[in-house]
Amino acid sequence: MTPLPEFAGGSLTAVAAGVPPGSPWSTYQSAARKLDRIPAESVPEPLRARVAVLGSFTLEPFLSVLRVEGARAGLWIETYLAPYGQYLGELLDPASGLYRFRPHVTFLAIDGDVLWHQRWTENPPLLSEPVVGGLLTPLFAGLDVFDHAGTGIVVVNDFILPRRSTEGVNAFRSKGTFAHTVAHANKHLRLRLAARAHTFLFPLADLVAQVGRNHAFNWRTHYRGHVSWSDALMGAVAERYVGFALAALGKATKCIVLDLDNTLWGGVLGEEGPGGIALGHHWPGSEFVDFQRELLDLQRQGILLTVCSKNNEEEALAALRTHPAMLIREEHLAAYRINWEDKASNIRAIARELNIGLEHMLLIDDSPHERAWVREQLPELRIPEMPADPSLYAHWVGSLSSLIVLQHTAEDAQRTRQYQESRSREAYRGAVGSLEDFLRGLEIRVEIDLVGENSVGRVVQLLAKTNQFNLTTRRHDEPTIRRRASASEWRIYTMRVVDRFGDFGLTAVAIVSPGPDVWHLESFLMSCRVIGKSVETALLARVAADAREAGASALSAEFVDSGRNQVAAPFLANHGFTVGDDARWHRSLGASGPEWPGWVESITPTGVATIAARVES
Amino acid sequence: MSAGDERAARVRELLAEVLDVPLPSIGPGFSAATAGSWTSLNHLMLVSQLEGEFGVIFTNAEIGELTSFDRIVSALAQHLEPG
Repeated sequence: MTPLPEFAGGSLTAVAAGVPPGSPWSTYQSAARKLDRIPAESVPEPLRARVAVLGSFTLEPFLSVLRVEGARAGLWIETYLAPYGQYLGELLDPASGLYRFRPHVTFLAIDGDVLWHQRWTENPPLLSEPVVGGLLTPLFAGLDVFDHAGTGIVVVNDFILPRRSTEGVNAFRSKGTFAHTVAHANKHLRLRLAARAHTFLFPLADLVAQVGRNHAFNWRTHYRGHVSWSDALMGAVAERYVGFALAALGKATKCIVLDLDNTLWGGVLGEEGPGGIALGHHWPGSEFVDFQRELLDLQRQGILLTVCSKNNEEEALAALRTHPAMLIREEHLAAYRINWEDKASNIRAIARELNIGLEHMLLIDDSPHERAWVREQLPELRIPEMPADPSLYAHWVGSLSSLIVLQHTAEDAQRTRQYQESRSREAYRGAVGSLEDFLRGLEIRVEIDLVGENSVGRVVQLLAKTNQFNLTTRRHDEPTIRRRASASEWRIYTMRVVDRFGDFGLTAVAIVSPGPDVWHLESFLMSCRVIGKSVETALLARVAADAREAGASALSAEFVDSGRNQVAAPFLANHGFTVGDDARWHRSLGASGPEWPGWVESITPTGVATIAARVES
Repeated sequence: MSAGDERAARVRELLAEVLDVPLPSIGPGFSAATAGSWTSLNHLMLVSQLEGEFGVIFTNAEIGELTSFDRIVSALAQHLEPG
């Protein structure tokens, strides 16, 4: 067998670099064929995204654009396209190609015409809102089947008015216009998608508006061959689809690193003083206030804001604390490095402090020089080009596709506070002696429970996002977790961690397959925020105690090297497991052990919800 | 290079990109009959890329006939060099 050529990490982005955004479709097509020539099997698993597209019009040409935009973000996108016009059939049939493909993300690209065209010609106008809502029923029947038998998330676009109405100037007086039909359909779609945990609305109308309706559709290819989207709309949709794919794979941005002068405010603080910088209700300055507001919206969704800036620290902090128009305050920042050292080292230090991989961080800095320098030093970091004109900052930040946050839990909203508490913990560590003294002083308490209705969302999120302390890095979607939660052949443990400085929330999960003799750890993972407290030992001790009580004599486990989980590599050996001939790790249970750490106190689960509802409904 | 030569060079590039064939293989005689990747969908996309690139709109009758490099070049000449 010929060995596979070695996959060069930069080859995906290099192919995409030859296709500037806005290129004609033929350029995308040619680049996609270059991607075809990279053998799929040579691409490392973490870079591969399986993306299914189900459409009501011709989408083959779009797949090339999608693959190239994926490559631009460092993803190798494998695509599955449902046969023409078969989107409902594919959803309704668990034996269809869609289900066999096991997608990470499924996009439904539907043209509203297919839903109501027949009705429209038979019986205009569609006066009744329930009738319009009823047209969506088959679609939701399909989504119900997918909920039970499918994988990953589903993203459905909203409906659009593709052209100007010819219904006349009196149409606004009637409820039976095309615009009403579209509005009703979108209202039903939004309400019904919002009630489901892992379906999302794709803002196609918004993208069409951004591209411009006159440029978003190619009516010639639409009528000649049902290729409705123009080259420009294909590019815009693909870029946004890639954002969803990044998020579904746990590769979205978790932390934004911000510069200060001419980024968060206008002017140079050190030269102009706090009264001289541009920040306020009037121009110049109002554009920076708007930009800060957008950043705070992202922070509320759980994306961390940090500052890395060349300023005098005291002066900059004073501006953040006391400037009357400042929206981003010190308490919104999870970390900061304000000094005169080089930015790459400072960003590395922020990454270490927050325990976040550089590939999950994004730099916003107005200086092309700094961006170029950091890009050279830290190629993993996301460093988008940004507009030179601050009036465009607020618009620009909304277009960054790596800033999509799928799950929004109570933990997300609190995350910045948790990192700030961690700052106090670090200060405390400096003041005490041995590690055990330090840990005792933290007054760590854990609450171990089996997964329940109010923790399912957080468990799925942890499975999707935890890269470092994760023995097997298996991602499971919500239907899988729900199935397992109610099946006797699985036990899903959750652990909440609290210490004297604050509540980390639900931060560890163990998925155990309890056999009669051997209990197997299918997944065992812990958020990086609680690494270094030995709470993982507590969770393992609890699993072992339960196994012993159930009559089992041994535990087994696996360690699957993902390239990111080195911190978890010694865990099994350190807890008495030895590797067997089957490459699995085994540990006889005996009479006792692994021992519960003496400095960790166990709290009895209260049954009170610690997880708030996920997506707003 | 004359305007016609430049046009022909750009047509070759577009054919190579859309049909995924090596540039040197495209020239007089290259046609849908010999290129396996010249499918009906690729034909549709090729025509729309030619229209976008050269700012022309082909008639339905022309679209059916644009099945070789030579015919594309001459159809473009008819649109762009009237008279």
